Amino acid sequence: MKYWDDFKAGESIALGSHTITEAEILAFARKYDPQPFHTDPEAARRSIFGGLIASGWHTCAILMRLGVEANQREEAAATGSPGLDSCRWLKPVRPGDTLSGRTEVLETWPSRSKPIGFVRRRVEALNQHGEVVLAIVGITMYRRRPDGPGART
Amino acid sequence: MKYFEDVAVGDIMRFGRYEVTKEEIVEYARQFDPQPFHLDEEAAKASLFGGLIASGWHTGAMFIRMVVEHMTPVHATTGAMGFDDLKWIKPVRPGDVLSVESEIKEKVEGRRPDRGTVKIESRIENQRGEVVMSLVSLVIYLRR
Repeated sequence: MKYWDDFKAGESIALGSHTITEAEILAFARKYDPQPFHTDPEAARRSIFGGLIASGWHTCAILMRLGVEANQREEAAATGSPGLDSCRWLKPVRPGDTLSGRTEVLETWPSRSKPIGFVRRRVEALNQHGEVVLAIVGITMYRRRPDGPGART
Repeated sequence: MKYFEDVAVGDIMRFGRYEVTKEEIVEYARQFDPQPFHLDEEAAKASLFGGLIASGWHTGAMFIRMVVEHMTPVHATTGAMGFDDLKWIKPVRPGDVLSVESEIKEKVEGRRPDRGTVKIESRIENQRGEVVMSLVSLVIYLRR
């Protein structure tokens, strides 16, 4: 089990990868982000993007999935997130792109009132060309080590 | 159609109605956020949330659906660069009905003559008027 106490600033982890298909892009966009450049390959060709691109919220969801899987591999005691500082969609994501995740811990601090702590980290998704397509700085909460030092800062 | 020139700091828009179902919460979570408190009612009861809650990213997806239905048809936008300061404030549960209040906070001219960036703060509320999520989107508007 990996607790809040085990995260250290500077630590980076490679997340897994996911190859996004046109069918996935269309299915997500038709349900949640039905703009022509996400839902209609023909209209997308005529748009400023020159072809079908994934909804930014879809790319975020894929990165979330890669993060959850990493947490599960590490048996990290994650208990959700209060929010994100920033999220930038830097490059279009297109059918067939393979997205890989990576994350770096920026800082950690304990809750004053609950047996949890906070981890601020940068999380990025890169495509198969090594270009960062999505960059997020966000906060995750983890339970503290039950037998760990009580007033660690 | 509202172009960059037509939106003013302080403008407020209220729109959308999204009924959150248990089936959709679980379906989204299976695909993108398979944590027990999003997937399994029994496990969720035992968690600190006391019951099934939607993935925060799912709330974001429901938000963008309302935006695309109600704002995109009447605003000359061409996507967004991203967002800042997203807060997941309250859990979203099955049966909740979400809506949006958006406020124009800032207009940024930028380098390109044909477009500008507009910072829009959006508050997603439930049927009790409680804000469940807020964020500041960086939306690209075309100029007239």
